Amino acid sequence: MQADKLSIRTGVAVVAALFTATLTVDAVAQAGRATAKRAEQKPAAAQKAAIPPLGPLPPVPVPADNPMSPEKVELGKMLFFDSRLGGDASSPCVVCHQPGKGWGDGDEISRGYPGTQHWRNSQTVLNSAYYNKLFWEGSVTSLEGQAPAAAEGNVAGNGDPSLMEMRLRFIPEYVAAFRKVFGIEQPRMTQAYQAIAAFQRTLVSDAKQVPFDRYAMGDGKALNESQMRGMQLYNGKAGCILCHNGPLASDQKFHALGVPDNEAFKTSPLAQITHRWQQYQKGVPEANYRDAPLDRGLYYVTKNPKDIGKFRTPSLRELKYTAPYMHTGVFYTLEEVVDFYDRGGGDTPNKSPLVKPLALSAQEKKDLAAFLEALSMDKPLLMDAPPLPAYQPLRR
Amino acid sequence: MRSRNLSRLAGALALAGAMGAAAQSGADLAPLPEPKFNKDQAELGRYLFFDVRLSGDAALSCASCHDPKKGWTDGQPLGKGYPASEGFRNTPTILNAGFKRRFMWDGRLDGSDMGTLVRDMITEAHTMNMDSRLMQERLKQVPEYVAMWQKFRKDDINGMRVYGVVGEFVKSVVSKNAPIDRFLNGDASALSEGARQGYALFKGKANCASCHNGPLGSDGNLHRTGVPENPGVTADPLRHITMLRHYSTSGMPNYMNAFEDVGSYAITKNDKDKGKFATPSLRDLKYTAPYMHNGVFATLGEVVQFYDLGGGPGSELKKLGLSAGEKRALVAFLESLSGDPVIVDAPKSPAYQVRAFGKN
Repeated sequence: MQADKLSIRTGVAVVAALFTATLTVDAVAQAGRATAKRAEQKPAAAQKAAIPPLGPLPPVPVPADNPMSPEKVELGKMLFFDSRLGGDASSPCVVCHQPGKGWGDGDEISRGYPGTQHWRNSQTVLNSAYYNKLFWEGSVTSLEGQAPAAAEGNVAGNGDPSLMEMRLRFIPEYVAAFRKVFGIEQPRMTQAYQAIAAFQRTLVSDAKQVPFDRYAMGDGKALNESQMRGMQLYNGKAGCILCHNGPLASDQKFHALGVPDNEAFKTSPLAQITHRWQQYQKGVPEANYRDAPLDRGLYYVTKNPKDIGKFRTPSLRELKYTAPYMHTGVFYTLEEVVDFYDRGGGDTPNKSPLVKPLALSAQEKKDLAAFLEALSMDKPLLMDAPPLPAYQPLRR
Repeated sequence: MRSRNLSRLAGALALAGAMGAAAQSGADLAPLPEPKFNKDQAELGRYLFFDVRLSGDAALSCASCHDPKKGWTDGQPLGKGYPASEGFRNTPTILNAGFKRRFMWDGRLDGSDMGTLVRDMITEAHTMNMDSRLMQERLKQVPEYVAMWQKFRKDDINGMRVYGVVGEFVKSVVSKNAPIDRFLNGDASALSEGARQGYALFKGKANCASCHNGPLGSDGNLHRTGVPENPGVTADPLRHITMLRHYSTSGMPNYMNAFEDVGSYAITKNDKDKGKFATPSLRDLKYTAPYMHNGVFATLGEVVQFYDLGGGPGSELKKLGLSAGEKRALVAFLESLSGDPVIVDAPKSPAYQVRAFGKN
């Protein structure tokens, strides 16, 4: 039960901080630590009562060193779609984050760079602006930090930053845009990633289109009866709210659930290559490289054995468009996901005490899945690729 | 043998600046020595040389640009790069590369360290764009490679050592049976009358041997001969991008304003090195057209004509005043520096196999 309390109180701090839209990521982390300390003296009941409820998303938090502007967003959009950001011009951001596939790539584990296979499910970009840690193991703390990790990662974009930067300098429209937006003479990658992050901050759910948000804002008819029952279960018997809380429906904390590994690790040479490579390049001790039988999750960041198998809670928004689910992409339907939790999750050494058998009836499972769908927009957020400017010879 | 040649050519170099056009350095060619390499490593290296999985997106192998059928080059004036990139210099042959003193057109790499040359080619973003650790894990997924590796080492395939293994294969790629070698070893009939006349010009009036000497026909040093720029570099943004990025990552000042290939200067940042390039080997020219660091000359006739005029702007060289017959003789001699074609068939790359998960 102690772990239970711990996760809740830190979740409160983090989600509460999110409401303060202009806080920097560092400030969020600091606030989290400070609040957690104070919470230790409070009685357990008070903490439990303070689980932040679901609700419409607040304005997007914007870091002080990367303010938004329409021109920056427009530049970031072009760069997001531009294959010249990437090694062989085959893998722009959009390839693994496709608007038509819920801004993920629709595969169990992401396709990865040509000649490779990624090892985890490609997450949606939608509402990623609200996370204070990104990637399934939370290894970066901002969209500005996520973009280079993806564009340059060897099984993702495999782009060399100095080469990508030079490519941008041979595209006069980009040179002009970087001058206008950032006041710099020549494009630089730091600013390119800032522009992409700014664009991603515009990719958020529109509350008017989300049944649950409409309900939360006073439209009593926005949810049907099944969804209403599902919401009760979500906040009560099924206990989803313990981790999937706050407007984002994520406590942004790490939990081990025992999600089955993707079979590809046992059957696909490319997946095995990437799996070993990840152990190697993430710097685990040699013994752990040699016997690695699983994706160790948060452990790669902390190297703390207690973190093996923990992954950051994902948002539940826009689930309707982002199947398959979980970091391994093993579940194709929400029904499978609900069944998994109803069983009390899977086997894993550091399993979260929050996950235990739920004994839901068939109707309850249906109701819960119906409610989960109500966290998605009525229609997917689609976007056409913008026209991209061409390379031009450099003028003397 | 090698060190004697080296000291001889070092002396020749010291003299070269002070000497007139007709001066003879005393430098000469020498027969190609026997290559030294580890046979087991070279055998695995041969497989790896032809395996596309050594490039980031598995589109290219070493042989894609160093094609045995094209004199171990790509036959283009300017090298073709990794997909979405293009090169800005001519792809040199790897034939006899094991005897080089320096590698790369700007001479930036030490010839005694073939592994580093291979590493740079495989990991460089505009050539093969590969991550060493990922390459290691790919190779471990091929049981045949693991078995070949264990013939010479009892450990796992190791990313950094793979480069040396490919290097051992490169060292094994040497030309054979060149008329010049037979001639230098005592067979006077190996060179035609014309070629013998050309050889005399090579060492004498044309003074080629002051730079093109030793077993490779190269002093391994940097010289400025004023080779004309290849206009294809700045006309094609992809090539110009690669050039400026090379300058940028080499730490060259004011790289965004470079419209000419500055050669060694990008490495040394010494104004005296602007436009200097490494003397290439003259062996196997028959198979390695087009010529010069940027492939601007399609034929040996054009090359000889260029030198006859004393090179281009800023050249260290003087006009030669060769007659048409002398030029023909020189070309005939240059062709006698080529051996039999060295053809190595591409082995079939063995497939990845599934391994027992969790036993790495």
